[in-house]
Order: sequence, then structure tokens, then C-alpha cells
Amino acid sequence: MSKQSQEKSKWGTSYGELVWREFSKSWLARFCLGFIFFLFAVAVFAPFLANDKPFAIRIDEQLHFPIFRNLKVSDYCIFLAAIFGYLQVLLIRRNHKRVDPSIRPAILWRQICINSSIVVIGTILILIFVPRRLDATDYKALIASGKATNAVFAPIPYGYDRTNLKLREQPPSRQHWLGTDDVGADVLCRLLHGSRISLSVGFVAVGISAVIGVIAGAILGYFGGKVDFIGMRVVEIMMAIPVFFLIITIVAFFPRSLLNIMIIIGITSWTSYARFIRAEFFKLRKQDFVQAAISLGLPLRSILFRHMLPNGIAPVLVNVTFGIAGAIFIEAALSFLGFGVAPPTPSWGQMLSLGVSTTGRFLWWLSLFPGLAIFLTVLAYNLVGESLRDAIDPKLRIQ
Amino acid sequence: MVFAISRAAPGDPVSLSMGPGGQMDAERAVNVRETRMKLYGLDKPIHVQYANWLRRVVRLDFGDSIKHHRPVSELIKEKLPITLILNIIAFVIIYAVSLPLGVLTAVQHRQFFDRVSSIVLFMLWSLPVMWIGQMLIGYFCGPTFKSWFPPAGLSSNYADQLPFFPWLADRLWHLVLPVLCLTYTGFAYLTKQVRAGMLDNLRADYVRTARAKGLSNIVVIFRHAFRNSIIPVITIMATLLPAMLGGSVIIERIFSIPGMGLLAFEAVTTRDYNVVMAVATIGGVLNLFGLLLADIAYAVADPRISFENAV
Repeated sequence: MSKQSQEKSKWGTSYGELVWREFSKSWLARFCLGFIFFLFAVAVFAPFLANDKPFAIRIDEQLHFPIFRNLKVSDYCIFLAAIFGYLQVLLIRRNHKRVDPSIRPAILWRQICINSSIVVIGTILILIFVPRRLDATDYKALIASGKATNAVFAPIPYGYDRTNLKLREQPPSRQHWLGTDDVGADVLCRLLHGSRISLSVGFVAVGISAVIGVIAGAILGYFGGKVDFIGMRVVEIMMAIPVFFLIITIVAFFPRSLLNIMIIIGITSWTSYARFIRAEFFKLRKQDFVQAAISLGLPLRSILFRHMLPNGIAPVLVNVTFGIAGAIFIEAALSFLGFGVAPPTPSWGQMLSLGVSTTGRFLWWLSLFPGLAIFLTVLAYNLVGESLRDAIDPKLRIQ
Repeated sequence: MVFAISRAAPGDPVSLSMGPGGQMDAERAVNVRETRMKLYGLDKPIHVQYANWLRRVVRLDFGDSIKHHRPVSELIKEKLPITLILNIIAFVIIYAVSLPLGVLTAVQHRQFFDRVSSIVLFMLWSLPVMWIGQMLIGYFCGPTFKSWFPPAGLSSNYADQLPFFPWLADRLWHLVLPVLCLTYTGFAYLTKQVRAGMLDNLRADYVRTARAKGLSNIVVIFRHAFRNSIIPVITIMATLLPAMLGGSVIIERIFSIPGMGLLAFEAVTTRDYNVVMAVATIGGVLNLFGLLLADIAYAVADPRISFENAV
């Protein structure tokens, strides 16, 4: 027996490991999780997968790398976030091998804080220092005219904002695997770039609503009594409002931007998190470790978020995956109705709405593929959530 | 179970209808302010504007629509029944399908039918409405493929001259696809919930007791287990209704049905603020009504919940 496995058996199985083991029993759940990671990879590397600028090109005997020169500021920010996100995953694995379970949450929390602050600072630095370039050179024309040689293009050599009215509404062909849309942009390329919008909306919107919901639910559940009564009325009221109507109404009054949509979805959908956390905290409040924390005179913040929250977070995690699916759904619906991000920024819902052309023709490739993308993403998130719920449910584990 | 009851118990109808009223006011106030800022600038203090607006709303006077040059209340009177009919049909279908289906899948837990239906339902649940709507129109209504159903509207051009039954058939024929789109998400969700609730209850001790008494299977399932698992189902009614109202915006837009959803959509795109606010208000009121119904249904379904001594 190696030293590591000895230590492992000494530590026993932590709750997270238990849940993970249950979760990864189902191949479908693992597959869906893999699919989501794949989507993230696609979203991160979208400019390298689909771009009308070549990776490398020889112009007048000089080697140029236009694709790297043309990365936008947002691309750099996404790369930065992706790198640190991946680092975080690695760190979690490392923690599992090396760190005692009792201090794992604290260390994890610290790592997340450090990493995210690096990302935020990096983003600000990038926003300040990276210049905004606009390279309108048509490299394909250069090649055609014989001025440039040895070009290496991305697998899908089209830009998402290209307009080419000669190639409008083409069905799928060898040049355009999934056809072209109403201004002649490649559908596959726009799909790949559009995944960024959907995934980021899901994450940020749910992040906002989960934070609001957890704080509200924690306060309601901990104090109970009058606070709880009033708070729950507010929650019920929020639930009674038709969210989609409200979102449309708000969108009507505010300018169209991705951030606004994220914030609006976030603010309107925190109630379910609050309810779940509240129910958990009701149960936890009477337990010994909470009483101990109170009698030690710890500050409220510490009791709520250090001692109680880690024990009550499990159902919220399930809800988060469903919430992400819901947010992607709402964003797609908004874009479909024309309240989403402004073109030419690609988004799946907006592409879907082009499926019926202005002349009333039904363009099946413009309906099928974006719809399929939304469907598969939402399905993957939902399945992950479902498996997670089953994994957390102790009733099913005993069987 | 305990959680469901604790959710259900404190909802006495009066406080419920009073409370949301207050919240809607806050929301209205925001709307009013936004509107006024855009239309007139900030000439009056907010509370005065708000009071004025509220005074008019109580008299069902929402002002004139900028686009249609008609009073908003008239417009709404025209459109509301259409949306209501659509939603009520969908609602009835959802419950009519998902209650038996949920019970059936729970009884056949982990057998072939249960597995297949849960996979299918899960996929239905994740299908985007607008996609399905568009594909249905594309494949079944268009000139390109089959043209079995009309692509848009509520009735054919000549429908007014028809006698009642052909008119009804025409109307139903137009409603098939929109109602289909409106229902499938709902019944997928609801069936899942019914199944989960039934499973919980079928495992419970009192069901075993009932079986041990020698009661027949049907009595055990419907008298004992089903009656107890219906409460979360009613709770869902309260959350399903707003979702459906929202969904009807998309569906009415896809199928060009002249209902509240389309009105709201057009109002938002043309910045017709009076209409937007009126529709939002009516939507809220409709929801309250749904919640009230849910509360009454609680009391009918579960004698343990009584409103007399709730808080």
C-alpha cells in the first residue's frame, strides 16, 4: 500500500467525494459534464476555430500572424479567465490528494478568492493596455491576387461578422457546412462564436441570482420569526410576477446590452435559491455546531457563511445547474424576440429567429442548427443537475 | 412533504393578494418613472405621478395606446380572452396528461415504461419553445414540406361567415400547434413532479399499512398515495402560470396570434409605454388570481391546511 492511499483511508470519504462517486456512476452524467466542458473549450477557442484571418501567412517574404494580432480585448479576457478556471480545477484535484478534508473548504475558498481577483485585475489591465486594433485586410483576396502565400487558416475560415450578399441564405454545402444566413455569414462560425454569449449569460446571471438568493435565504432561515414571515412574503410576491413579462418590460426601458440581460435575469430569478437555502438553514439552526458557533460569540457573517453555508450548499448546487439551463433558455428567447445583444454579435436565439426569412421562406438550416445547439446545451445542464440531485439525495444512496 | 406544507400553510389569501399588490406597486412605480422620464422629463415628483397613475388604473383607464390611437383598456379587452383561452386549454391538457402519466410511471418505477417516458419527458423539458414552434411551422405549415396546419392566426379569412360548428373546427384546427407548443414543457415538468411525489409516498409506511390491510392496489394508489402527493402539484400550479404567460409571448409571436403576448411584444418594440405597463399589470393580476386558485385548491385537497389559524 502506497503512502498516499494510506493517508486517504485515514481521512475517510468526504461528502464531496461521496457525491462525486455517486454522480460519476452514471455514464450519462459524465458524458453531459464532458459535453459542457467541451462547449466551454469551444467558446474559449472560438477565434481559433473560426476566423477569417489566417494563423500564419507569408506576405512579401515576411511571415505574419494576423490571427493573433486581431484578437479582441474580450478574447484576451476570456483566455485569462479560462486559464485560471482550469488552474482552479487542477488545484481542486491537488487538494483532494494532499489536504486534510477538514480544512479543504477554507483552502478552496481562499484559492477561489485569489484566482478570481487575479482574473479581475488582469481583465482591468488588459482593458487598459491592450490596444484596439482593426485589421480590415482581406487576406483571401491577397492570396487570390498572388501577393501572399503559405497561408494557414482556421478550420472554418470565415469571420462571424462577414457580410457577403452574393452568398445569402445558402443551404449547407461543402464550403459552408451549415449554410449561410441572411447576410451571407457562415452559420457554423456564428454558432461557435454564439456559444460564448449563451454560456456566459448562464454563468453570470445564475451567479448574481445565487448570491442574492443565498444571502437572503440565509438571513431568513437563520433569524426565522418575523424576519422570515416578511421575507417569505416578498419571495412569494417575486414568484408571482410573470418573470418573462417583467424581463421584457425592463428590457424595453433599458438599452440593449449583454450585461443588462444578465443582470435582469439574475435579479428576477433569485427566489428559488432563497427558498432552498432557507429550508436548509431552518434544519441547521438547531444543530450543535451552530449553537457552538453562536456561543463562541462569532460574528454573524462567520456563523452564516463559514459554518452553516458549507453544510447547506448542496441543494443550491443542483438548483444552480437548472438555473443555468433556464438562463440560457431565457436569453435565447429574448434574442429570438429581438431584445438580445445587437447584431452582428452572434447569439443562438437571434440566429434561430432568422429561420423564417423576411420573405416568409422557411430556411431549415437556420432553424435546425441553432435550435439544436440550444437544446443540447440546456439538456446537458439539466441532466447534470438531475444526476447531481440523485447523487445528493441520501435516500437513493442507501438502496 | 414538510417543506411543501410549510410553503403552503402561511399563504392566507387575503395577505397574499394584499402583499403582491404592494409589490406590483413598487414595480409600477419604477415603470412609471422610467416612462415619464422618457416622455416628459422629470417635471413632477414621483409619488405624485405614481398616485395619479394608480388612480387611473383603479378605474381601468390605462391611457391611450400611442401606436393604435385607441384606449389601452379597449385593446386589452379584445386580446385578453384569446390569451386566456389559449392558456386555459393548455393548462387543462397539461394536468389531464401529466397526472395519470405521473401516477403510471411511479407505479411502474424502474420498469421499461418508466425509463422510456422519463427520458422522453426530460428531452421535452429541455426543448426550446421557439425552436419547436418554428420547426413545426416550417415542416407542417409551409409550402416547403407538408401543409397540414395553418401557419398563423386564430381563424381563416372567411371564418366569420361560417356556422358555429365549422367555425369551432376551424378555430381548433388553428389552435393545435400553439397549444402543443404551450403544453409540452409544462407537462414534462409536472409529470416529473407527480412521479417524484408518488414515489415518495408509495415508499411511505402508511402505504405499506394500507396494503397490509388488504386494500386493492387501485385504492391504495389513488386514495392513499395520490391524495398525499397532490399538494406539491398544486404548488407547481402557482409557478407554472407565470411561466406559461411568458411562454405565450413567444408562441403568440411565432404563430402571430393576436393575443396579449403579441400585444406586449409589439408594444415593447414600438415603445408604446402605456400598453407595456397595462399588460404587465394585467399579467400580475392574472397571476394573483392563479395563486388564489392554488390556495383554495390546497384547502380542498388537504384538510390539514386551514386558513382560519394561519399566522
